[in-house]
Amino acid sequence: MKIEIKNISKTFGDLIANSEISISINNGIHALLGENGAGKSTLVKIISGQIAPDQGEILIDDKSLLLGSPKQSIESGIGLLNQDPLDFGNLSVLETFLVGIKDQNPFRKLNKTKQSISDLFKKYKIKIDFSERTNNFSIGERQQIELLRLLYNGAKLIVLDEPTSAFSLEQKKMMFNTLRSLSNEGIIIIFVSHKLDEIMELCDSGTILKSGKVVHSITKPFNSKEIIGKMFENTDSLVKNDKDFSSSEYFNISVSNNDLLEKEKKYLEIKFPYGSVIGIAGLQGSSNDLYIKNFFTKDLSETKITLDSNNKISKKSFYYMPADRVERGLFRDLNVLEHFGLYKASESKILNWGKIKDIASKKISEFNIKAKFSNEVSELSGGNQQRLMLSLMPEVKSILLLEQPTRGLDLNSAQNIWETILSRKSKDIAIIFSSTDIDEIWDYSDIILSVSGRFIVNIDYKKNLTKEKIINYVSGIV
Amino acid sequence: MNNNFEKLQISLLRLFFTLSIIFFILTLFGTSPLKVFDSIIYGSLGSYSKLIRTLIVWGPISMASIALIYTFSAGMWNIGIEGQIIMGAVGATLIARSFLGDTFISPYVQIIFAIGFGGVWGLICGLLKVKGNVHEIFSGLGLDFVASGIVIYLIIGPWKREGIASTSGTDIFDKASWIPTIGQNEFPLLLIILILILYILSFVVLKYTSFGLRLKATGVNELATQRFYFSSSTFILLSFFIAGSIAGLAGFSQASGAYHKLVPSISGGFGFLSILIVLICSRNIYFTFIVSFFFSALIVGGSQLQIRLGLDHSLIGIIQATFVLSWLIFEKLKLEEPLLKKVFRSNK
Repeated sequence: MKIEIKNISKTFGDLIANSEISISINNGIHALLGENGAGKSTLVKIISGQIAPDQGEILIDDKSLLLGSPKQSIESGIGLLNQDPLDFGNLSVLETFLVGIKDQNPFRKLNKTKQSISDLFKKYKIKIDFSERTNNFSIGERQQIELLRLLYNGAKLIVLDEPTSAFSLEQKKMMFNTLRSLSNEGIIIIFVSHKLDEIMELCDSGTILKSGKVVHSITKPFNSKEIIGKMFENTDSLVKNDKDFSSSEYFNISVSNNDLLEKEKKYLEIKFPYGSVIGIAGLQGSSNDLYIKNFFTKDLSETKITLDSNNKISKKSFYYMPADRVERGLFRDLNVLEHFGLYKASESKILNWGKIKDIASKKISEFNIKAKFSNEVSELSGGNQQRLMLSLMPEVKSILLLEQPTRGLDLNSAQNIWETILSRKSKDIAIIFSSTDIDEIWDYSDIILSVSGRFIVNIDYKKNLTKEKIINYVSGIV
Repeated sequence: MNNNFEKLQISLLRLFFTLSIIFFILTLFGTSPLKVFDSIIYGSLGSYSKLIRTLIVWGPISMASIALIYTFSAGMWNIGIEGQIIMGAVGATLIARSFLGDTFISPYVQIIFAIGFGGVWGLICGLLKVKGNVHEIFSGLGLDFVASGIVIYLIIGPWKREGIASTSGTDIFDKASWIPTIGQNEFPLLLIILILILYILSFVVLKYTSFGLRLKATGVNELATQRFYFSSSTFILLSFFIAGSIAGLAGFSQASGAYHKLVPSISGGFGFLSILIVLICSRNIYFTFIVSFFFSALIVGGSQLQIRLGLDHSLIGIIQATFVLSWLIFEKLKLEEPLLKKVFRSNK
């Protein structure tokens, strides 16, 4: 089997997702690398037939593949393993196999079908009770079942789209073993990831994408420095966090033992001056967002913020801004004015709409929100939704908890938002944000907290760190 | 202003379409739609006493509809409304049959008990939802059955009529326990005052208080409520308690205003009917006021169909159902707005 991707391009509006991508793979495990928005997912979707490219072609064993048809892709032997298992949770394992089976009338010769499925499981040394419901297995086991299902249906090329983000270490080991034996049998595997350690461990060759283009091809042995250099862009941003702020008041972050990597278990409590900007760095799928959320809800871990004076921090001192604006942040069917009303609702029982209108129009112009009072939030663009969330920040001294504050925004909106956030530096106790973009972390933070998987790997002042160190921390190369 | 005017235009146009469909269906039955509506209007508004009968039906339907506006605002399907009405009626009957039954304060104490009984019944649903994660439709439906069972038990058991045990109901209440009326035609002043207070109060609460806005927000997105420093659970519980209380009041109106006794079908199906009304009105209080009156007129006027036209009373059910279904379909299709725009553009 051989796959040749030739000159694939795809744009969404103004966004160039893929630009003239050409990759040819003959065997082995091939890595597809790149930071967020590099175009990996788009390429995967094109290979698996979920979307059609604007131009280009894909050849499977020198035969042209009809693009944009998932059925064609499957019939040509391409199997896609999604980030989250796409199976039917309340069916049994056997039923999951039968639902999407390529055999004609599998029920007529059920015993034979059962036998060949169980042979397949035996071959890859996976012990699983067929009659058990899929729900009862862990994500890792479900992914393995999915993988075998793809094989059973004749997949010769398997694309794994960041499959390990929810895996435990042991599951990962098992999965990697299976993948390696598959590769030895001549099945091509495309492994999409931005976890460098996994790629170094597993892959034979790789392609690095950046801004939709192929920037580099790599083969074993890999040079991690080179890969990092190619993967992460070195763009200098316009807004800088250069106001050196020193305060005589301090707050603490106390990190629970459970959140630290095993080898360096110690209860950490670190003092930081008021007005610090703390960036929580982590790759996609790591727990960096959860740590932000936890400071607000305090239900995930013991890691918390305390004040030096031992004062309890009231709930209203926190302003938490989730990454998914419409799902968790705002009320999609409420209009802009009603959001300002809700903000005021925590202060008085009776709503004075006249006063709320005054505040709202002041904030709308101050934060440059392009919306009318009567616009429902679902009608606003992402940038405007984000600015609306920012405009609802309390006026008083607060702890801002911002989950990926510029996620999905273009450069201009992002800069704009950072300007607003940093202007509060001298006023707030702390500004804590998470990001998967190392440059963003580097540009705006005073203190950087690196998260790999679900663990906190490092906390330090920026002046003691380098970008490379952070990348190593978040990639799990400690 | 402009926005509201446009909304009104759309609603009127939708009403026109809906009525056209009803007329069409009535024609299919081989009756004259005009005659049917004439009978209904005569039967419900044709005389002062008929109007009063319509008001007595409008009372509980209005109350149940207002009750549902609270739960719908919080995003909850309060199917348990029937049970809440029934339990309100049980609360009222308890007082009417007690030593207070022949005193003038009886109706007022009944109100308090009806509110309490209904409110607690609603609160059970809310607690099951918030604490037990039981979907409110299932618990509501279950509690409806339980409430029906309780009423039947009371009627053929402890509250049975002297000498006979039948499901036709308890003894008629003492006149002092009836909803106070004035004049020869027995205008139910207290009931009307209660309804108007409820309408006005609910309008103010839902529009001008932080409670109302937070209730609405809970219904839109439970996950975001914490960010605005309130807990969706509290608001879900409150919405069920308020809805149950108001529904209990409807039960009081049924027991002491309409039947003057407790009967097995005390709720009259008004709870379920109100769900349809609130759906049509998309929780708008003005519309609820009008539509619930329209449906009450249909129910009361429907009795005239048999007398004047020889048609079965069930035709009313068909009219109601057609109205609701066509209205909801037109609402989904959103034909009116482009149509209006076209008309206005061609005028310019």
